[in-house]
Amino acid sequence: MEIDGNTLIFIIIVLFLFFSSPGGDGVSSQYEFNQLQELRTQWNVEYKSFQGMNYNENFQNITGLKLAYQDIIDDESVNATYPLPSKDYSHWSQDQKYAILPDEVISQVKNNVWTQENADKPDLFPPNITGTLRGHIELVSNDKYSKLPMPIQRFYDPPSEFSDVSPHLGDRYLGDEWPPFSELHNVTFDNGELSVQVSHVDRVYDRLKGNQQTYFNSQTDRWKFLNLRLDFSDKTEHEKHSLLTDAVYDVQHGRILAMTQSAKFHSLFAFPHYMNLENAIESEDTFNSLKKLINEYWNASNFVDTLTMNDLQDWYDSAVYKCEYVAFIQLEPWNEYTPDQLKMIDDELNWPLGRPANLSSVPLINLQSGLLYSPDCGIQLKFNNIKGKRYEIQMRSIRAHLLFGIGLFVTQIYLLLCQMHHTNTPSSVSKLSFYSLSMINLVDGSLATLYFIAASILPELYLPLVISSFACFILASIFETRYLILVYASQFNERNVGLLTLLRRSNNDNNDGTNTEAANTVIPDEASISGTLYGRFFFMLISFTLLTLSSTSWPRKIRMIFEYVTIFVLNSYWLPQIFRNAIKGTLPRRSRLRSEALGIQRQNKMPLLWKFIIGTTIIRTLPVVYVFTYSSNVFRHHKDVRFVVVLCLYLLFQIAVLYSQDILGSRWFLPKLAIPEGYSYHKPMSAQELMEHGSSVDHTVDCAICMSEVPVYVEDVPETHKVDLQTYMTTPCGHVFHTQCLENWMSYKLQCPVCRSPLPPL
Amino acid sequence: MSMETPTGLYQFPVTKLCMVSTVAVAFAASVANCKYIFLARYDPFISEYRQYSRYLLFQLGCVNETDVALIVLLWYQFRNLERFMGSYKYISVLFVALIYTTVSLAGLNLLLNILLPGKIWNSLCTGSLPLILAMFHFYKEYTPQIYEFDILLTQPWSKSINKKQRKWKLNDQFLVNGLVVMLLLNQGFAGIGCGFISWICGIFLDKGLFPGVDRWRLPFIKKLLVTDGNSNPSTEALDGSSQDEDRDRSTDADAGAAHENESFPVDDEAGNDEPARPLGVQFLDTFRR
Repeated sequence: MEIDGNTLIFIIIVLFLFFSSPGGDGVSSQYEFNQLQELRTQWNVEYKSFQGMNYNENFQNITGLKLAYQDIIDDESVNATYPLPSKDYSHWSQDQKYAILPDEVISQVKNNVWTQENADKPDLFPPNITGTLRGHIELVSNDKYSKLPMPIQRFYDPPSEFSDVSPHLGDRYLGDEWPPFSELHNVTFDNGELSVQVSHVDRVYDRLKGNQQTYFNSQTDRWKFLNLRLDFSDKTEHEKHSLLTDAVYDVQHGRILAMTQSAKFHSLFAFPHYMNLENAIESEDTFNSLKKLINEYWNASNFVDTLTMNDLQDWYDSAVYKCEYVAFIQLEPWNEYTPDQLKMIDDELNWPLGRPANLSSVPLINLQSGLLYSPDCGIQLKFNNIKGKRYEIQMRSIRAHLLFGIGLFVTQIYLLLCQMHHTNTPSSVSKLSFYSLSMINLVDGSLATLYFIAASILPELYLPLVISSFACFILASIFETRYLILVYASQFNERNVGLLTLLRRSNNDNNDGTNTEAANTVIPDEASISGTLYGRFFFMLISFTLLTLSSTSWPRKIRMIFEYVTIFVLNSYWLPQIFRNAIKGTLPRRSRLRSEALGIQRQNKMPLLWKFIIGTTIIRTLPVVYVFTYSSNVFRHHKDVRFVVVLCLYLLFQIAVLYSQDILGSRWFLPKLAIPEGYSYHKPMSAQELMEHGSSVDHTVDCAICMSEVPVYVEDVPETHKVDLQTYMTTPCGHVFHTQCLENWMSYKLQCPVCRSPLPPL
Repeated sequence: MSMETPTGLYQFPVTKLCMVSTVAVAFAASVANCKYIFLARYDPFISEYRQYSRYLLFQLGCVNETDVALIVLLWYQFRNLERFMGSYKYISVLFVALIYTTVSLAGLNLLLNILLPGKIWNSLCTGSLPLILAMFHFYKEYTPQIYEFDILLTQPWSKSINKKQRKWKLNDQFLVNGLVVMLLLNQGFAGIGCGFISWICGIFLDKGLFPGVDRWRLPFIKKLLVTDGNSNPSTEALDGSSQDEDRDRSTDADAGAAHENESFPVDDEAGNDEPARPLGVQFLDTFRR
């Protein structure tokens, strides 16, 4: 390729566009730069104010904490400004006069949520509570408490026109502008499901795009800094709420305080006061210790300097679209362990060495009680029975399941190889149903893709996931597709042929037109078939995988219908084979055995091995049975035994029909009238036909395969009537061979050895 | 008798087993995330947790990927031991050596740590390093050196004739020696210490101080490894020439007995002239065409 000046300039422009993306902080205009500067100034000012605060002082100029609950009771139209003339900033106590929570909520937290310390034997709590906990959430009230006004600084607003350079000043209240639909700023269901994803924050980056994380917490025996992700929705998943919160975990008391942070609520500075909701008198020690934690976090993460446009936009979005929440959570103690044992369990989970920690009996992380309160929306919710495994233990159990799955794949590969060995001739392969195998193949292929995608999401399970994906991919795209190619090739001459003709197993004798057409069918070679089939395979695979992936985000009801229908359809994989058997028509088992005993080698065995049928069915049903009947399965799938029973019965029915076809002949359920006479290779000839073949005097024809004479039954010549019709075969194209010769040949190719016109399979 | 051992693993079933299991065990342990069961340290596993099973397991799997590669290469180099002893004797000797090295290493480790104060020798090696070192003695003892060569370390034909020519003498076994040294160094002091003890074990085994090499054979598996010639003449005929030499070469009574009633290789004219197409080849052909 020749590169002239214009092309070069074009390439440079394209590269410039590629690489001129905003720098580390995401600023792309002067307006945004000013926005970010405003944000930094705001945080700096508030941090300074926080630094000056001691345990007996109220919040001063801190976003979201300027008003207390009592202020809004006293005067509903109060604005969150600093300083308020009548407000007492020099004291602090745990009541609604100072706090953003109503007295009722505070007393509930003190009495019902947080358990009191046991003086003689302090409770022990797990130091690391990473994991995903699940349970129920219950609405206590959504109209009882007044809504605390929380304004957003106007510099957060996007520019109204291109020439805007400096952001607006002042603040605005969302109360009037909130979108009319109620779910956004309200919780309308009474009972719902909640998942709490806990992750520890021990280390932070100290600069933008830094690659080194530093530990910041010097009081790890007392406090842990957490990130909590709370997702709750009603059962039908019509209304979903998702909150990202920072949290502080009190390891000694098993308490978690989580608060959302956004443009209207800077909760980071509220931890020291609100973690203290215990005694009547605020503990100075706790306050100072928490203040130290916040300071350490602030300094280690270089909080102000590492703010980006992304943070600004996220905070703005969540301020506009979500309520602010404060969550008080009490953990259940693990009193059955000593501190040493807890440490050993923790070490073993972090760095497995085979310590005698007995990980299989580690209890669940259990949230004993919890309260979620939204100050600006006045909503109060209650946690119910929320528990889950430690993350590492969950990973271990998933790993064990994956290993079992790999075993299943390997068994399936072995069974498929046995089956392929069983049907090693085109005649027997042509009895298999292409669609049965396609269904099986589609499931395996999509599993391979799903595993592969999961491998990039779960780095801890990368190795087993990739192995699973590999085993599955080998099974689907090499063995099964190869088999499909064989089946497709052997059935190619059945294309454009009607069902009735297929049942009759022949091209229409008296219709010369179809006969020549069939004779002219060009059977493509394997390479072109494999090209087509691979194309089709990958297309189906990708579309099915995308459909499956997107279905996980659909509402529950539609998702369940989709899931049930898909599972049901994909588990009908023997139906096409039953249909195919009926078309190809095998003899009942008894007559097959008889002909075998007589030494007549006939290609009329059942196409599928029973080992393969039973094994495949079990391998494919086991995971479904596990997921639907074992209520604490790793996929967190709901339990539905009835569906599994129906599904198993359905599969049993398919297998039973296959078995009956094996025993009674594959067409037993068709009425005799519906089965037309098939093409018979064994038929007498007329003298005229024999003349065309250039027969010799003693009414024999030369077999083109073994080059020796074939005695023929000629209708017009009585002396030939001794000849057994079963000893020779006449093809539709009128060529005559020994039975044994042609049958041998037909196990390689279904084409006439003389004129290459297609032969109806036996 | 050809000087070179035939390449490939055809008719080296024990070598093949060793190579495959070295890789397979390491791979399986890695996938199942349980590599740590092959770690053996006196402190804390034995002294604190009383996990004596670690003394039995440490030789069976490698923790380190480099060890896997080195050990697989060494097993391949040691295949002429299998040729020399015969498969059945070879696997029996391997088994005996495995037991002796495991017992002596574990026993010495336990004794030293109990009797002597301080932790002089805490960790054992991982992987089948001890077994390899024990067999290394057999290899050096029974493999004749075929050729040697010098590497000149100073400039040749230098003007000062009196200057002594320095050279480094290597022989055809330098690859094995190099691999063993790398294997030893790869695990630090644990590797060197355990390697030395196991090498001594190998010498004792060979000299008869540790009995078992001459008489004892693994029970039950004789049928698998000792083939009688009649079973499959066509496949054996493929490698007929090396079989022929093998027969002359066999010193061991058992291995000799194995080959005694073997028919001479027949010409393969009568057989199928089309080469067998195994399933694997058939699959690959799909993609070739």
